[in-house]
Amino acid sequence: MNRAPGRATSRSDTLLFLGCLVLSCGAIALPERLSLNLANAVRETALLPVLWLQQRAVEGRTSRSRFQALQAERDSAVLAAQSLGALAAENERLRGLLALRERTAMATVPAEVLHQVAPTDGRTLLLALGAATGVRPGDPVISPEGLVGVVLSVAARSTVAMSWGHPDFRVSAATEDGSVLGIVAPSVNTEASETFLEFRGVAYRDTVATGTLVLTSGLGGVYPRGIPIGRVAGVRKEELGWERIYRLAPLANPGHLGHVLVLRVPAPGELVP
Amino acid sequence: MSRRDSNQFILGFALLAALHFYVRPRLWDSRAAPDFLLLALMLVAIRARPGVAALAGFIVGIVNDVLTPASFGAGALAHTVVGYLAAWGRAVFFPDNLLVNAGLFAGGVVLRNTLELLASGTPAGQLSAGLLVWTPLQALTTAAAGIVILLLFRNWFAIRIEV
Repeated sequence: MNRAPGRATSRSDTLLFLGCLVLSCGAIALPERLSLNLANAVRETALLPVLWLQQRAVEGRTSRSRFQALQAERDSAVLAAQSLGALAAENERLRGLLALRERTAMATVPAEVLHQVAPTDGRTLLLALGAATGVRPGDPVISPEGLVGVVLSVAARSTVAMSWGHPDFRVSAATEDGSVLGIVAPSVNTEASETFLEFRGVAYRDTVATGTLVLTSGLGGVYPRGIPIGRVAGVRKEELGWERIYRLAPLANPGHLGHVLVLRVPAPGELVP
Repeated sequence: MSRRDSNQFILGFALLAALHFYVRPRLWDSRAAPDFLLLALMLVAIRARPGVAALAGFIVGIVNDVLTPASFGAGALAHTVVGYLAAWGRAVFFPDNLLVNAGLFAGGVVLRNTLELLASGTPAGQLSAGLLVWTPLQALTTAAAGIVILLLFRNWFAIRIEV
């Protein structure tokens, strides 16, 4: 492996370099479905030991540092849950009066986030979660703060989720009172120190006040209605009198999340425990 | 290279892999945390021919892409270029100085992040945040970690350093 000091590159070095460059460009040009399958295959075979090691490290860290936070959250949840019985009964009675169907129950699957040091980490998240949990591509990923993203691919022992920071991310959204509908997408032109989403496609006649909470609308069938996405932080752009684009401060930060929940949207006819 | 040297070399990379996949997530799981895989690539590049360093970069890049599949292939491209240029640069002008090596590690992080962000089609806002905020921080931490690794284990990696 040692070489003579000062020796310049040879032809074989250049050829090897060019070969690696061509292979890299070929990998970039692969269709997304193929590249995800390829990544899953390598992750589930050659990289399984390192994935296992990182999962143990994350478990060790979270079990140590998050215990007190979890205790506090559990106490708050117990307090909040005390009034839920009466609310559920009232909700059931009102639904009965209005002849509405029962709400579709959705199971949640908790998952640890295995962060990487790559500069693109945060656009996709690697979750320590396998296919055995029943999670499927297209299932929404949430955190206690709000919407994080959507499951992109599921392998035997790991799952890849696309976060709202990914340029391809889109979600149908509505304001808290349901009066204004639009599409939420990542902002393409933001300040270096800020990360914002955009609430697009809002009709020019509709005005959304700063600070308004924006939730998933449930349209499109991927995300259920009512998951918080972010708060309006001002108007970003007005399009020639027919559309306003609002800046939206996201509630969940994918880069800092240690744990997420995957909402298992039941397939038609599937019973959810 | 003797059998003992080879064993020490392999042990050194096993140590870097353990630091990357176990110690880092356990202690400091941040985008500014040192990248021990890139450090391993730079240590290979310091000793190997540019072609071998490019191949090592390609393999490290694929590992990177498989674990962060935001844009498959972008990491491989960036690491290949970094490995090749580091080995070529070392052959041409880098002396065996600790601080110059630290600069090499930091430069590797900056070049890798720049190429990876550009090749993965990062939007302008995220690009500037990545290049102006996170990249300098990660370059500094990786260089600091590299100095410590070189001081403690330079014999394992058979690297001559003037301290």
